[in-house]
Amino acid sequence: MVVLRAGLCPGLTEEMIQVLRANSVRTVVDFVSSDLEDVSQKCSLSYKALVAVRRVLLAQFSAFPANGADLYEELKSSTAILPTGSPSLDQLLDSGLYTGEVTELMGAPGSGKTQVCLSIAASVSLGLKQHVLFLDSTGGFTASRLYQMLQAQAEDEEEQAVGDTALSQLEALQRIQVARVFDVYEMLSALQEVRDRLSQQAVSCTGPLKTVVIDSVSAVIHPLLGGRQSEGLAIMMQLARELKMLAKEFSLAVVVTNQVTRDSSTGLLKPALGRSWSFVPSTRVLLESKGAAWEEATTRRSASLAKSPRQPTGMQVELDIGNSDVQEPSPATPTEGL
Amino acid sequence: MRSPLPPPPPRFRAPLRAGPSAARWRWGGGGMQRAVGSLPLGPALRARLAAAGFQTAQELLDTGPCGLSREIGISKEEALEALQVVRQECSGDAARTAGGAGTTRKCTALELLEEEQAQGFIITFCSALDNILGGGVQLTKITEVCGAPGVGKTQLCMQLAVDVQIPECFGGVCGEAVFIDTEGSFMVDRVVDIAAACVQHCRLIAEAHQEEDHQKALETFSLESILSHIYYFRCRDYIELLAQVYLLPDFLSEHSKVRLVVIDGIAFPFRHDFEDLSLRTRLLNGLAQQLIIIANDHKSAVVLTNQMTTRIGQSQSTLVPALGESWGHAATVRLIFHWDKSQRLATLYKSPSQKESTIPYTITPHGFRDVQPPAVTQNTESTEMNPRKRPRREEEK
Repeated sequence: MVVLRAGLCPGLTEEMIQVLRANSVRTVVDFVSSDLEDVSQKCSLSYKALVAVRRVLLAQFSAFPANGADLYEELKSSTAILPTGSPSLDQLLDSGLYTGEVTELMGAPGSGKTQVCLSIAASVSLGLKQHVLFLDSTGGFTASRLYQMLQAQAEDEEEQAVGDTALSQLEALQRIQVARVFDVYEMLSALQEVRDRLSQQAVSCTGPLKTVVIDSVSAVIHPLLGGRQSEGLAIMMQLARELKMLAKEFSLAVVVTNQVTRDSSTGLLKPALGRSWSFVPSTRVLLESKGAAWEEATTRRSASLAKSPRQPTGMQVELDIGNSDVQEPSPATPTEGL
Repeated sequence: MRSPLPPPPPRFRAPLRAGPSAARWRWGGGGMQRAVGSLPLGPALRARLAAAGFQTAQELLDTGPCGLSREIGISKEEALEALQVVRQECSGDAARTAGGAGTTRKCTALELLEEEQAQGFIITFCSALDNILGGGVQLTKITEVCGAPGVGKTQLCMQLAVDVQIPECFGGVCGEAVFIDTEGSFMVDRVVDIAAACVQHCRLIAEAHQEEDHQKALETFSLESILSHIYYFRCRDYIELLAQVYLLPDFLSEHSKVRLVVIDGIAFPFRHDFEDLSLRTRLLNGLAQQLIIIANDHKSAVVLTNQMTTRIGQSQSTLVPALGESWGHAATVRLIFHWDKSQRLATLYKSPSQKESTIPYTITPHGFRDVQPPAVTQNTESTEMNPRKRPRREEEK
């Protein structure tokens, strides 16, 4: 729905636009879908000129169909699968996070969403040496816990000498950019900024950005939903569009976390943000605590697949978030606290 | 008589990814490419702009206020206001893209790690609780304390309001406290007792160590100064509470030494007399976001107390924190206080950096303490002061 403006294409002059506007042809869609004979008679403009303008507008604004085989080739070359830092979670996600898609983690408070996000950031930054953007909207990002995870993951690798590992951990920390956004408009402008940087291909400070982690998306949208106004839904869909565009256009893996609310009628837990949001992520993972209530303190969590384009839903794996990183629960779990 | 169809448009090598090509040819360029839907304008204005065909912020700025008011039928003043908002947003974006380092809230994880390690904690005088919290109540985070009536939530809040003022040489953060009371449970006499015990404690440490800065700090750390640095607000219903939190950033910019904001009883005004539950959820979520902004911008800890309610399940009923599931996501750290026969226990239920664990505590006439009282005054530095500060004092010796 682009407004007709002078200079939009050669041959579209200001007087032409004024005359067209007087006959209620304001946007490109109006122009292209109108009967040009009628328009040329009413506005007394040359028919040939109108046809030429329409041709140029169509060339500029229409979408081109793509060959399926070409699309497949392009996907093969541009999609990457990023490890999450936890082999069992990778197994659940069909070997990891796919770029070009939005993956969602949902769970009750204390179920480990932030821990898994930190683990993903640590593994991508340390293992793949790529940049990560972490948008924190709950204040739950704790750099010291991230550092713990990096140390544990570096120990697992056992590649380098001690001095090197310390340096590589610090470098890994530098590759993780953290932005604290507590408002949906701030989040939108942060995403816009990412888009601008990537499209200008400024390699200066972002470097090869492959992952965007947003913890959590429901914290900024929840205050706007509900009531009789639909403005909250509009903003939510705008955010969804931004995320999907970022993922698709720049081949990023976008990870978001969501809350769960209690269904008033059945009393069961369901993901927050409603049905409209459920179409946005391609993969949804539900994190649950193994203990029944808060009286039993445990670090074991279970992750189940609620929606996936590749795996059967209902697959479940166990995670242990209590150790220095997220991994499978081992029988002799060392109880290191701080 | 229809004219023949125009020949198909010339194909040029377009990228295979079929995105919204309307936006494609305008790619590149600063925050001017913000979609109109993502700008903080009113919904009616946004609807009109969409109907008129405006897509990006650049188009709005190009049109100018007169053109805008003509095209969408609003007054010139409204158009001018809207354009100012748009300009502010876009210049903010452009500054962020060009500036590199970005706004105050964006940094690398390494910088955050350094910040966190330099940050202090607010100790609770109960070393077991400090241990499971990782040193004490953390600044820049929201901590929620839930518990049944009488278990000690308000006692902890009063203790923290005193502890935040402990001078840095004794292991505190040397800040002031804001106490927002909704239940009316703030007893000044009790705070006097707690503060007196705290001052006495610090005096004993200073005597044991005989250091210059300890004596100097003790001169300013007295009962009167403690009480005068606790700012007390009484809110009687939820509207007053929301208004108070809304006005809090201005208050905090005037009193920049505040390091603790306590809201004692966030559940009380929202639980009674509230018919519309969805409105309650929305208000609570908005409140949570405002509190996290306050905690972050002013580097202070926010402590909330919550009540418990019974959830009736299929076979049994469990005691859970009140205000619903979605409120559970608001707090970063959640502590649940409960009874086990006659022993008070504290469970760390939710924390981004610490494990879940349970410890016992007790309430003495001096305030919130460990179950084993400290043995002798010489040992107080090892049991009750922040262990992080110990190496520094040993070096100074």
